[in-house]
Amino acid sequence: MLTYEPDDTLAHRLDPRSKLAVTVGFAATALAHTDVVPLIAFTGFVLVGLAVAGVGLWQALYGYRFALVILAAAPVVSMLTLGAPWIVLSDAISPALASYRVLLLLLCSAAYVRSTPARDSRAAVQRTIPGKLGQLLGMGVGLVFRFVPVVLADLRQIRRAMAVRLGTERGVVDRVRRIGVLGLSRSFARADRLSLAMQARCFSWNPTLPALSFSRPDWAACALGITLALSALL
Amino acid sequence: MQTEQGSVDLVEGDVVRAFARAALLAALMGASASVAVPIAGVPGTLQMLVVFLAGLYLGPVWGPFAIVLYLFAGVLGAPIFSGGSSGLGVVLGQYGGFLLTFPVGAALTGAIVHRGRNLRDPASVFLPIIVLALVVATAVVYLAGFLWYAWVTDIAVLDAFMISALPLIPGDLLKMAAAVAIVRSGLIEAT
Repeated sequence: MLTYEPDDTLAHRLDPRSKLAVTVGFAATALAHTDVVPLIAFTGFVLVGLAVAGVGLWQALYGYRFALVILAAAPVVSMLTLGAPWIVLSDAISPALASYRVLLLLLCSAAYVRSTPARDSRAAVQRTIPGKLGQLLGMGVGLVFRFVPVVLADLRQIRRAMAVRLGTERGVVDRVRRIGVLGLSRSFARADRLSLAMQARCFSWNPTLPALSFSRPDWAACALGITLALSALL
Repeated sequence: MQTEQGSVDLVEGDVVRAFARAALLAALMGASASVAVPIAGVPGTLQMLVVFLAGLYLGPVWGPFAIVLYLFAGVLGAPIFSGGSSGLGVVLGQYGGFLLTFPVGAALTGAIVHRGRNLRDPASVFLPIIVLALVVATAVVYLAGFLWYAWVTDIAVLDAFMISALPLIPGDLLKMAAAVAIVRSGLIEAT
């Protein structure tokens, strides 16, 4: 699983907002181009990005292994025909190039994921998106990071409890209903306790945010992000 | 270090409750991506079910907000997308159409069932309305899902439908049935 790991790479030292600018800029240009020459350039860019973030190529590919299987299906299905000659390789070229750019997009975002802690991402959201919406999104992102392992443990416990009571022998709709009812009611019970705790601790629209600093490399990264985004128009 | 002199602007109690429920529902959505339940013989996740539940129990405003939170957290590095993956690349990748229209699905479900911001008890809503809401939400998510797949992988729309949408239909029909059963059980109160 590809997640944040503490390190001292250049990517780890960058502000999350500048890393997001590069990632979004790259996404814009990658989605706009499927020719071979831009894809070669994108490949070089992504390899440098992974190296800057200290992510191994195989590690990143392994992290997205499930997505890669579905991605590979597009060119494979495209080259199949319902009659002779059954397989037309030339039909797979365009989907293969298009799928490859999606792979590059996944690898590019791996650099952000590996180098940015949840706390910084939350602060970036709250500082970038204005108003109460930005505050709620930022705080909500922090809560999601915190509560996913808890809710996952709840779901696994529910499934274990069902299994020891031979719940696995029940029909699929009944099993999904039970998981849904129990999972949602437990999550809402946790949410109600959480809301009480947040109000007791003066949950406010203007909390003190973690400090973020924009240094010279961040301005360079932002310029790179804008350049990449503009290159989508070429 | 600077000292801030501003006063604390407290969040209203009803907003805190709805917000906390939305955040936990987003966490449930993320956790459900890692729990594979054998559905129609194929291991599937319960994410579409959580989209339905978001609209049904959080309504047309907080329901989509919960799903947007899920997407934001996933983009920013929480391992909550399919297979424990994360990052912007997943949201803009081959299944981006499904992911990006999940909030629309939740909003449509909530809007059709609750017909406004004041939430009703889903158990008291006429059953065909619930079914209509789930069908409309699923249709919109599927339409955007396979069209996006066709565009991003540059393949024919029919091929995209066969790869990305067709295998999911049996599982999602069962999830719709499960969502109706959850509503009929009357065990959960809408926020």
